[in-house]
Amino acid sequence: MVRLSDLHPVEAEHLSMRALAMPAVGPGEWITPRPLDQATVAIVSTAGLHRRIDPPFTVGSLDYRLIPGDTEFDDLVLSHISANFDRSAFGEDPNIVFPIDRLREFASSGEVGGVARWHYSFMGAMPDPSQFEKAGEEIGRLMAQDGVDIAFLVPI
Amino acid sequence: MSEAVVPPRALWVPFPLGRPLGVVDDSEFQKSVMRTAFGLLDTATEPTIEDYEIQAPGEGLSENWSCPLNLSTQSSGSLTDRLLAEVALLRPWAIETRRQRGRTLFGASGAGEDQVDELARAFASIAETGEVTSAPVVVDVAWAFDMPLLARHIADDLRCFYHEALAAQPGDTAPNHDALNRWIFGETVLGEALLLVADGLTKASDSPMAQLVRGLLIPEGHYRGGSAFPEETNFPINPGT
Repeated sequence: MVRLSDLHPVEAEHLSMRALAMPAVGPGEWITPRPLDQATVAIVSTAGLHRRIDPPFTVGSLDYRLIPGDTEFDDLVLSHISANFDRSAFGEDPNIVFPIDRLREFASSGEVGGVARWHYSFMGAMPDPSQFEKAGEEIGRLMAQDGVDIAFLVPI
Repeated sequence: MSEAVVPPRALWVPFPLGRPLGVVDDSEFQKSVMRTAFGLLDTATEPTIEDYEIQAPGEGLSENWSCPLNLSTQSSGSLTDRLLAEVALLRPWAIETRRQRGRTLFGASGAGEDQVDELARAFASIAETGEVTSAPVVVDVAWAFDMPLLARHIADDLRCFYHEALAAQPGDTAPNHDALNRWIFGETVLGEALLLVADGLTKASDSPMAQLVRGLLIPEGHYRGGSAFPEETNFPINPGT
């Protein structure tokens, strides 16, 4: 997340207002996963990222898109609705938002046990994060069945 | 916002929005961010938000960047003609970026990767007519959205094309997000068209969605000097359009 002082003052005020209005979500159950070098890691993005063949995100989307681990970068697009973040970085290097190559490198070097077969993408910009509970629980079950130990959440 | 969500382990990073791993094409920097986040698996025993202390190198992002191209060569004519002329000036550079990368982000609106002129015509039409309820008819394009949200995604595709054009130009500096927006809204026909479409959305005063889409079209601070969102902004859940 960026420093508020680095944002346009109007955007900083808007985000501050939204943060204050955001309803609190209680902490979930505390889980200690297996050691990282034995763990399988999946990426969960909130960048509105999806394959070209998938339906785009729209205002208020609470669903998610599946991103297979072997998806090529030229097949990924963003349909996040916000005009307030810089998409040029993703265009230049998709790993800055969806660091799948970095995860593979960690797996190759042994720092991470393995990379999940499936990854997941939501669109953020939701004032009430509790609205994602149903979809979040669903991908939790899917990740458990995929042998995932750690979800690496990358907000945009 | 992280404090409200109470994630089990979170790393706060001081990077611009859109760059959560910090630096493009710098695998070691990206991995250092990820290693620090993964390190919380060993150290945190309760919900923890840790600050990442390392600043991203400037990587050539400049507040004071200026575009080397003179885009104001055609100052008369219809908005459509001027936007098409601007697109034509940028096209060789955008093609070069796509050639180097072997990919493009263009096309989320439903347009094909080579339908930039079609999108420019469609967007200029929305700007000139103020029509924000019916989608512009473009042969061979199956829009991925309905209006008025479609206008925002057509604009995003055009902005993507402009970003791609800038990325290939010589020089070590690139605009940061604010400099990019100041260029688009201060020096380009696209910026002129964006503000006209925003005005069209404002005039559709009986449509709360149109007012919301204005805030999704124009970055904060660039709509007549203030916020493009309506004062009372409520994001509807799965509202359709």
